[in-house]
Amino acid sequence: MIIVTGASRGLGRAVAERLEQQGHEVVGLSRSTADVGFRSLQVDVSSEASVKDVVKEIRALGTAPSALINAAGIASMNLAVMMPSASVRKVVDTNLLGTIFMCQAVAPLLIRAGGGSIVNFSTIAVPLALEGESVYAASKAGVETFSRTLSRELAGHGVAVNCVAPGPVATDLLKGVSEDQVRSITERQIIRRRFDAADVCDVLEILLDPRSRSLTGHVLHIGGV
Amino acid sequence: MDDVITEVRAVVGDPAVPLGADTALIGDGSVLDSMGLVELCLRLEDRATAMGFEFDWTSETAMSRSRSMFRTVEALQEEFSRQLAEQA
Repeated sequence: MIIVTGASRGLGRAVAERLEQQGHEVVGLSRSTADVGFRSLQVDVSSEASVKDVVKEIRALGTAPSALINAAGIASMNLAVMMPSASVRKVVDTNLLGTIFMCQAVAPLLIRAGGGSIVNFSTIAVPLALEGESVYAASKAGVETFSRTLSRELAGHGVAVNCVAPGPVATDLLKGVSEDQVRSITERQIIRRRFDAADVCDVLEILLDPRSRSLTGHVLHIGGV
Repeated sequence: MDDVITEVRAVVGDPAVPLGADTALIGDGSVLDSMGLVELCLRLEDRATAMGFEFDWTSETAMSRSRSMFRTVEALQEEFSRQLAEQA
C-alpha cells in the first residue's frame, strides 16, 4: 500500500492515479475526500492530531504501507515583505510541518514493515532562489534538509528518504504565474523546457522501484539545475 | 520497571549487559544506539497496545519536562506508567 498526501488534485492526484494504474494499492489523503478512483481519507497535514488520527485509520486497514509520498503543499507567490503573517504560517505549516508530521507518523509503520520509501516534494525554487517565492522556497528548503537528515536516521531501518523537486508543472500551484514567468524559470533549468506531471510520476516510479534501494538522501530536480 | 527493562533487554540482546533503573537510554553511556532507541519505542507501543492503551513517545507532556523521559530506564518506566494510568 502506498500513501499519497495531497491526492485530491495537482501532482498528488497525478501520482496517486499513476500508482493506481500500475497496480499499487493507493490510499490518498487530502483535506476533503475526493471522488477519485482510489481509497481516499481526510486529513489536515498541518495538524499533528489530524495526522495521528488518519494514521490510526490506515493502521486499521490492516495492510502495511510500503511507501509514503508527501505531495500536499501550497504556494503563495509574493514578496516576503508583503506577505501577511497568516499566509507565511499557512505555507510553512502545510509544506514543512505537514511533511514532518506525516513522516513522523508513517515512518514507524514502514519500519515495522521491514522498510520502505518516503518521497517528499520540494521545488526548483530552492536552488534557483526564485524572486517572489521566498517563503515557499524556505518551507521547501526545510523539507529538503529534513529529508536528507531523516534519510540517515531511517537508513538502518531500511527506509529510504528522497525528495523530488519539480519546476513549473501545470497545476493549481501555478495559478497567477504568467507564461513569461514560467519560461524564465525553465530557461534556468539544465533541460530548458517545461515538464509535466507525467514526468514527475516517472521519476517517482523509479524511486519506488526496489532497484532504487541504494538511493536515499537525494533531491532529484526535474529538468536539472 | 518490568515493562521497560524487559523491552530494553530484548533490544540489547546481550544478557551480559547490566541493566537497572539508572541505565541510560540516551547520551553518554547509553546501552542503545539510535536504531535501538526506535526499536524500543516500537516494542513499547506494541506492549501498550496489548495492555489496552496507546503509548505516545512524542508526547509533548513528556518531552516538555525538565529532562527527557529517555534519560534512564526508570524515567521511561515512569512515563509509560503515567500514560497507562492516564488512559485507564
